[in-house]
Amino acid sequence: MPDDHTFPPAIRAATAVTGGAYELPVYPFVEPAELRGERLRHPVVIVGAGLTGLTAACDCALRGIPAVVIDEDDTVGVRGAASRGICYAQKSLEIYKRLGILDRMLAKGIQWSVGRTFAGNDEVYAFDLKKVQSHSVSEQPPFINLQQFYVEWFLVERIYELGLVELRWKNRLIDIAPDDERVVLTVQTPAGSYTLEASWVVDCSGAHSAIRDKLGVRASGAKIPDRWCISDVRFEHEPPAERWTWIEAPFNENRAVWQHLMADRVWRLDYQMPADADPEAISRPEVVAARLRRQFGPDVKYELVWVGPYAYRSLCLDAFRVGRVLFAGDAAHVMSPFGARGGNSGIQDADNLVWKLALVLEGKAPERLLDSYAVERRQAALDNIRITDRTTRFLSPPTRVEKRFRDAVISLAREFPFARGFVNTGRLSSPTRYEDSPIAVGEHAGVHVQNVALALPNGARGDLVDLLQRCDHAVLGFFHGDLDALTARELDALEQRYPVRFFCVRSEEGRTSTFPSVIDDEGKLTAQLHGAPGAVALVRPDLYLAGTLEEPSAADIERALRKLLAIE
Amino acid sequence: MKTTLQTQLKIADPDGFYEKLLDAHRGLTDEQCAQLDARLILLLANQIGDDRVLAECIEAAARPFAQARP
Repeated sequence: MPDDHTFPPAIRAATAVTGGAYELPVYPFVEPAELRGERLRHPVVIVGAGLTGLTAACDCALRGIPAVVIDEDDTVGVRGAASRGICYAQKSLEIYKRLGILDRMLAKGIQWSVGRTFAGNDEVYAFDLKKVQSHSVSEQPPFINLQQFYVEWFLVERIYELGLVELRWKNRLIDIAPDDERVVLTVQTPAGSYTLEASWVVDCSGAHSAIRDKLGVRASGAKIPDRWCISDVRFEHEPPAERWTWIEAPFNENRAVWQHLMADRVWRLDYQMPADADPEAISRPEVVAARLRRQFGPDVKYELVWVGPYAYRSLCLDAFRVGRVLFAGDAAHVMSPFGARGGNSGIQDADNLVWKLALVLEGKAPERLLDSYAVERRQAALDNIRITDRTTRFLSPPTRVEKRFRDAVISLAREFPFARGFVNTGRLSSPTRYEDSPIAVGEHAGVHVQNVALALPNGARGDLVDLLQRCDHAVLGFFHGDLDALTARELDALEQRYPVRFFCVRSEEGRTSTFPSVIDDEGKLTAQLHGAPGAVALVRPDLYLAGTLEEPSAADIERALRKLLAIE
Repeated sequence: MKTTLQTQLKIADPDGFYEKLLDAHRGLTDEQCAQLDARLILLLANQIGDDRVLAECIEAAARPFAQARP
């Protein structure tokens, strides 16, 4: 439990609920101002305090948006069969560095490096990530394993610490009525119902979003007949701290099994079940115990932390923006859990959306900037669904011929390294390239820029995220090469008129310049931005490259900025 | 799009290759033959290695069955 952090006294958890063996915090219900007769117009209401909603809320707090979050529950994590993510990928870790909870995540989470893949009674192959060449230049690790409720917990505490965003627990959405000017929500609480008015609503209410249905947003998707059952356990004698994956586990009737370590020495064991399995039957304690004995031997000693049977489907909304309502996370897209793409893509939805909302609310960009959120994140969702569907097809071959090809892959993978590339037990979430972005402005647009180390304008060592944190939600303009006085004045003039901050990128300490500079001594930033001399790269506040302009004039840069901000 | 598919014979000893291919299947059940073919396809695919050529090979091989799909 977060013991390394002081809870603000006003919201100290009064009692604890028992979610398996976890003691989760309980947050107090506070009577909303509206129930005391106040009539307010909130700039942003976020529906749902899950991973996506809390990430968006925390980002709102940092960007100065006094958002309101409503959630029907009063704790983090799960009651019943809600989402139980366990893996946070690099882009999410970069985002959480900016939001200020990364250190707590790293302190609590697990970084494994050895993975083993099995089929039948023996190992097909193993790898050690420490020995695999990494192409990453990010300051953050490739991923960490951590129970989702910890991330949510850290976010809640960070939001309370920042103080601007209001978290309304035990507030259940009953109805929603958007019009051109505003959105009116009807909310039920233990102290009665009230009307909540917002300029913008972000629906982060999850896979069973009522808003989606209420607004009649069309969606397409597929049912998938695959069934799984999670058993989270603590062992008396722990297995090696490695990730083990069985494609065909003899102790699970030759179906797949996952074995991952999370925080608190809790192991996530995830068992693939027959497609027609009864969720209730497979999660009975004696059935779980029998499964564990088959896997770990008759004398295995363990403490059961949580059991959760689940099925999944794929779903993607036709539109992620409907007027003043924006859909994010599972409310917008649902996919299989392979590769941790559900949670990580919800985090990226929030990261993509909130800087745009902030600029719109401040009048620095028109409302149609939000359409770029809808286009970019819907494309990411479709990519993620396509990628997770491929994993499903490998893990749950629907026909004899597909099973036969999988057998061929497994048998070849034992002998030949090339075939290991076909073994698809999940492809870890990675940032999608935005191919059809309406706010692309130059070469290499839509590519994620990793958080690289830099010397900052004040001379201190830092990284790109540190630089972002000093720039509110301005676009970062990186000028490569020598800056003459005239150009410097032109860039200054652009900073006065647009939310942009320019920096000169230098490869080493050199001539002092009055113009703010970053030192990219290892060339990692320049390489990512394709920064030839004279080029200006425009990097968005969500660390995506909007485009690199080759030797642009000030007028060219202005045109690009206006397109990036959807001004024209 | 200009095709990159090799349509002229590149194998020096076609009869020899064909014989080896058939011999590899000799004495196997239909299921075993299908398993062998799956392994062989994956091995050969990796020797080719070019995504576009592979896509064209799959398309060319599947052409006679185009009508059979629902």
